[in-house]
Amino acid sequence: MISIASLSKRFPNGTLAVDNVSFDVPEGQVLGLLGLSGSGKSTLMRLLNGLHTPTSGHTTILGTVVDQCSPAELRVLRRDIGFVFQQFGLVGRMTCMENVLVGALGQLRGPRFGIRSYSKVLRRQALEHLDRVGLASQVFQRADTLSGGQMQRVAIARSLMQKPKILLADEPVASLDPESSVQVLELLTRIAREDKMTVVCSLHQVELAVGRTDRLVGLRDGRVVLDTLTTAETDPESIMHLYRRTGAAEVVLTQEKEYA
Amino acid sequence: MTKSGETLPLAPKIDVSYISKIALVVTFFVLFLWSWVKIDMSIFGFFSDFQNVINLFGRMYPPDFAEISTVISAMVETLWIALLGTLGSVLLSYPLALLAASNTSPNRVLGAFSRGAITLSRAVPEIILAAIFVVAFGTGPFPGVLALALHSVGMVGRLFADALENADEAPREALMAVGSTKRQTIRSSLIPQALPSMIATVLFRFEINLRGSAVLGLVGAGGIGTIISESLETIQYRPALAAVTVLFVVILLTELASNAIRQSLIGTAANIGLQSQHTRLWARLKQRRDTQVLNDSLARRSIVQPWTSERLFRLGAMSLVTILILVAITTVDINWFQMLGNIDRVQIVLKQMVPPSFAGERSMLISGLVESVAISIVATTLGVMVALPVGVLMARNLNVRKWFSTLMRIIVLAVRGIPELIIAVIFVSAMGLGPVSGTLAMSIAVMVFGGKLFADSLEEVSPAPREALVSVGASRSQEFVSAVVPQFVPSFIAHLFYMFDVFFRSSTILGIVGGGGIGFLLISSIRVYEFQLTLTIIIAGFAIVLVIEWLGLIIKRLYR
Ligand SMILES: Nc1ncnc2c1ncn2[C@@H]1O[C@H](COP(=O)(O)OP(=O)(O)O)[C@@H](O)[C@H]1O
Ligand SMILES: [Mg+2]
Repeated sequence: MISIASLSKRFPNGTLAVDNVSFDVPEGQVLGLLGLSGSGKSTLMRLLNGLHTPTSGHTTILGTVVDQCSPAELRVLRRDIGFVFQQFGLVGRMTCMENVLVGALGQLRGPRFGIRSYSKVLRRQALEHLDRVGLASQVFQRADTLSGGQMQRVAIARSLMQKPKILLADEPVASLDPESSVQVLELLTRIAREDKMTVVCSLHQVELAVGRTDRLVGLRDGRVVLDTLTTAETDPESIMHLYRRTGAAEVVLTQEKEYA
Repeated sequence: MTKSGETLPLAPKIDVSYISKIALVVTFFVLFLWSWVKIDMSIFGFFSDFQNVINLFGRMYPPDFAEISTVISAMVETLWIALLGTLGSVLLSYPLALLAASNTSPNRVLGAFSRGAITLSRAVPEIILAAIFVVAFGTGPFPGVLALALHSVGMVGRLFADALENADEAPREALMAVGSTKRQTIRSSLIPQALPSMIATVLFRFEINLRGSAVLGLVGAGGIGTIISESLETIQYRPALAAVTVLFVVILLTELASNAIRQSLIGTAANIGLQSQHTRLWARLKQRRDTQVLNDSLARRSIVQPWTSERLFRLGAMSLVTILILVAITTVDINWFQMLGNIDRVQIVLKQMVPPSFAGERSMLISGLVESVAISIVATTLGVMVALPVGVLMARNLNVRKWFSTLMRIIVLAVRGIPELIIAVIFVSAMGLGPVSGTLAMSIAVMVFGGKLFADSLEEVSPAPREALVSVGASRSQEFVSAVVPQFVPSFIAHLFYMFDVFFRSSTILGIVGGGGIGFLLISSIRVYEFQLTLTIIIAGFAIVLVIEWLGLIIKRLYR
């Protein structure tokens, strides 16, 4: 499904955000990507769907080498990859329905403006997806009147419009309160498993990840420092122990405590 | 899946706001067509009209710089008028803004009074004020300075007050908590926060006033405008182009200079930019100094703020401005004692204005105002039609090639450098008197004014929804229509009404140079001392401005 080979990204300003990362994600796996802020999670996820281009190394997704794609091929590839952002990426002035509908743009030709410019079939689908994330009663409400958790659920519904085979979620719950964090993450992983999606979801809280993921990969300073399979019984403490041991920096350790 | 998913509608209900939006668009088209017919515009006319303008430029070229010394001294006078006018408006605006801003105002009555004064001060276009003051004080730069100072309060005072109101409340509370007085809090928490935006406002107003003072000569209030209009009237096209060229270059240079000052004082590069320009040597010296400071014992450390390049630049800019102001005050052709001694003449003229009356010109007045409204509708619409694509091409965040958006910016900046009344003078002498010349001249002003406004607010569009659309595989045009346009609509509507407001005001003075509208009656009334009629026109024009603002408020609410 996803195959990452010696992937590195150095930004023009000299920051080495992703440093020689390699791992494969088999079909249907729900992978949690752990790491402190600045460890390169977002950069790695953006490399996966071609929002960034790597400095060296390759990513192969669904049989396509991402960094060798033309812009048009990249668009075709992205149709099959859902992306959920930390900041939701909704247009506040548009209704939930319209914000969900734009998820179908990759399959449509030409620009669309307004709900009525989408076919009834698509609108019906959008409605079903909104229902699935529990927002059937807010369909025509403006996105900027929603709570954070609701906004992220609209964003999830938007990526469902793509019927994605792969779902990338970049800290989907980092800007939510603890309670909605749990709800949204629960929803995300449940839907992903029901639809048999392959998921890479970055998080900085081990507690949230454990029990919902099949596997955890830890990043520090752009390098993989942890890669372990998990089950519902895995102890968060043991993961944190593993994560720390590889770097052994006290500073990291204390910061880690704050997040926990 | 729940049942609700089956029964819910697939599109929002057609509600009042949807219908009113459609009604609005229809009304607008009807208005536009009516205005188009009203001022005798024709599509075919366009080509011959622009051909005429090009022919005129042909006759103007090459510029004749024989009288260059007269031109330059008139240009310097124009600069001084703008500088002193801006200074005057700052002196008037600062106290007014402190009284007007809700978080500094001593009481409600004074607040409302100052806000009223600020709004009223821009009711009368500066060139009209200047014409009135020329009657009171005689020709020369003084009426120009006075007109600019008074008229600018409308913008400077309001933006000063806005800057104060936009300041963060938290530092203010912190200062209150240590027991400081209200005045101390204002000085130490609000003013420091508002200052960068206030400086930007003053610089911006200075640029506007420079363009304004360039045309004051048309009514005898000094500066280079007289030379341009006189040489065009006497068919001396080549000297006219020489004067326009000088004006254009000076305006462009000031704009670049003021941009540089603005950037280094308040821009995003305020700290970083200067630092990155340091040579390695400088950086090493600085580092050595910093380590030295850290190693020194506390008692030996200096308590004087070190001189950074930033502070030096600021001091330099401030001294330069002070020197310029002093030079302006001493060398400009104004006998300050005599003029300020005669200041009560304003009162005499004002007394002659009341009560307002039609002076038998009621039908002229109405048809003039109607024509002004029509001119501004047509010019704004035509200009915006070009300004929209121009703005998109200028915006640096919309995937347009960088060199291309820079090129567009330079072109727009260059055209903006020519005051619109000067464009109108040129168009009128190319295609003859009448509203068509005025409208076309104004639509060029709308084009560049709008292009800049649109580009700026397109650049403010949040990138998050765009990125989300890129990652669903949307094409560029889809991303633009579904993520950029919806975010841009509210500011577009706001800008549209703002422009309509600005250009209606401009359309009331086009008549001074024969470009149609109420301006002809307005300036004639002043020249023949029919001041009661002047006041009537001013009141009627201001009423229309208020109506436009009120309509804008309602419609903006519709497009939140
Ligand atoms: N566009 C960029 N330009 C330069 N540096 C960047 C850019 N984006 C991220 N970085 C840097 O790359 C590193 C990794 O960032 P990021 O991938 O956002 O980490 P995370 O998502 O784990 O918080 C950080 O040091 C960050 O400052
Ligand atoms: Mg991140």
